[in-house]
Amino acid sequence: MIEVNEVRKQFGAVQALGGVSFTARDGQITALLGPNGAGKTTLLRLLVGLLKRDHGSIAVDGVDPAVDPIAVRANIGFLTDQFGLYERLSTREYLTYFGELHGMEKKGLAARIDEVSTLLQMDDILERRSKGFSQGQRIKVAMARTLLHRPRHLLLDEPSRGLDVMSTRALRVALAALRADGCCVIMATHVMQEVSHLCDDVIVIAKGCTVAQGSPQQLCERTGIASLEDAFVSLVGTDEGMLA
Amino acid sequence: MNFHKKPRFLIVFLKELRETLRDKRSLGLLALFTLIYPVMLGYILNQQIERATRPEREGIALSVIGADQAPTLMAQLKQKNVTITSLPAQTDAQIDTLLRGRKVAAVLRLSTSFTTDYAAMRPAKIELWYNSASDLDARRRDIEEILQAYSANIAGARLLAHGVSPATMAPIKLQRYDTGSNAARSAGVIGSVLGLLFFPAFICSLSAAVDSTAGERERRSLEVLISQPAHAWELIVGKWLAASALSVIGIIVALSLAHAILSWLPLEEIGMSWRVTSSDLAVVCCVSVPLALFAAGLQIAIAMNAKSFKEAQSMLSFIMLVPMIPGVAVSMLELKTATWMYLVPMLSNQTLLREIAKGEAIGSLPFILTFASSAIAALAAVTFAAWRMKSERYVLAV
Repeated sequence: MIEVNEVRKQFGAVQALGGVSFTARDGQITALLGPNGAGKTTLLRLLVGLLKRDHGSIAVDGVDPAVDPIAVRANIGFLTDQFGLYERLSTREYLTYFGELHGMEKKGLAARIDEVSTLLQMDDILERRSKGFSQGQRIKVAMARTLLHRPRHLLLDEPSRGLDVMSTRALRVALAALRADGCCVIMATHVMQEVSHLCDDVIVIAKGCTVAQGSPQQLCERTGIASLEDAFVSLVGTDEGMLA
Repeated sequence: MNFHKKPRFLIVFLKELRETLRDKRSLGLLALFTLIYPVMLGYILNQQIERATRPEREGIALSVIGADQAPTLMAQLKQKNVTITSLPAQTDAQIDTLLRGRKVAAVLRLSTSFTTDYAAMRPAKIELWYNSASDLDARRRDIEEILQAYSANIAGARLLAHGVSPATMAPIKLQRYDTGSNAARSAGVIGSVLGLLFFPAFICSLSAAVDSTAGERERRSLEVLISQPAHAWELIVGKWLAASALSVIGIIVALSLAHAILSWLPLEEIGMSWRVTSSDLAVVCCVSVPLALFAAGLQIAIAMNAKSFKEAQSMLSFIMLVPMIPGVAVSMLELKTATWMYLVPMLSNQTLLREIAKGEAIGSLPFILTFASSAIAALAAVTFAAWRMKSERYVLAV
């Protein structure tokens, strides 16, 4: 469970987050919706303790990332907007590196690598070096890294970008399995279809503040708009929305 | 908690080392650089030794056109150990080609009217053709001296025939004393020459240091890495040790190769000495390990702040010259070895090796200072790098 309460963060004169509050529950996939520049990346970085907040509280299973970032990160799988592959390492070596950083045992690690590889349908690239990988292959490797250490929490920044239809389905199956396992998944995305199909809960942030939280259904009801996309636009408050 | 597990810095170290070792092209260049300097040094010193040991006037080769017109002069030249080849008349171009071939030090061309002029006591013309760009030019000066001595002899004889003492022709008597011995000259040279043997410390770690920091940042994998459950210092230490490993190897290879070459050369012929035993060398290698650690630490601390590989490289290529400055300054100012020199990384290693090469007993203090000065500087650099990586400002720029 991830609880965020009234979190603010300022960079110099720029207010990146001006009061974000939400709760992401275990066994649910929570979508993080927001226009570009709404502060999603800053929020995710605060959650893994890379940045320190100015105000408010964050608890990841009761642990404050500002106090014990190592413990929080050990229990989080973080898929950033960059894949972070190493061209001179094979996929297996890459996954072994991150598995070892998470303190996984050699034997269990090898078995787990095969497991995630099957889950994400990436056996064909397991022994290849990542030089020349396609966008889809890259994101699969990054996703495998994210799932490798069986984290209870997943922070995914646009996990489906660049994936073909088959891979998107594989990802969806994987995410559903994680939800069934009781993981807490937060997924930043711009694909509304994915949100309505997959997500139990939606957090909408705009200009650094939480605007709304609820199931896709609730958001539509609240705005009185049938399509989630239009509801989102109305919540975020574009110029048209303000005038209306 | 997990004491039986591999420490994280070791995991990072092994991964960085593996990646570096896979970059075959960079490794090849490093090997080339490390090996080429000792070999070049050996070659240059060998040339100097050969030149120094060559007997003074052994076989000055001289071509003469119209030699039969001046048999006495030829006899005198031969007496002074000049080998003469007689040539028929040549054009200017032919003489030029002859000199370009570098077989002869100079060409003498006696004018066709030499005999008549000589008999009539008019100045008899001799042309001296030479190539001042050639390394045989020193020999040309010897030939000139012989010609002048010959000319002075004849002049003296002619004056004597007129009842004038030849001494009137020599109002002063010049005697030359050259105090610049080879030994004094090469003592200065060897100081700066030995300094360069430690340069691989800075070269070999460079690509690994840049690639694992600025390179990782440019390829955008650093954000992923710093989001892992590892402390900033563990990541930095792993990267630092991986870069240092190459430097340590570089120093040891360069010093060992130089040792083998310098021990084999008869350096005493040019007034130099290499009184370094293999165990001395092992000790020098050991106390130079912190220099490698310092070089890699400094490069990481600087390169991690660069936004791209290219930027880091251009920053570092400038900064890498800084450690060379004290060494160059000391040898230019001709400072005497002093204890403070052992407190400056790089200069300390260079001074230490020079003193050992001279065969001086220096006690243990210089060794301790050399080791400690670099070790402290290395730790300072790495501490800074770890602090920097933890800072929010750095995370934001990733």
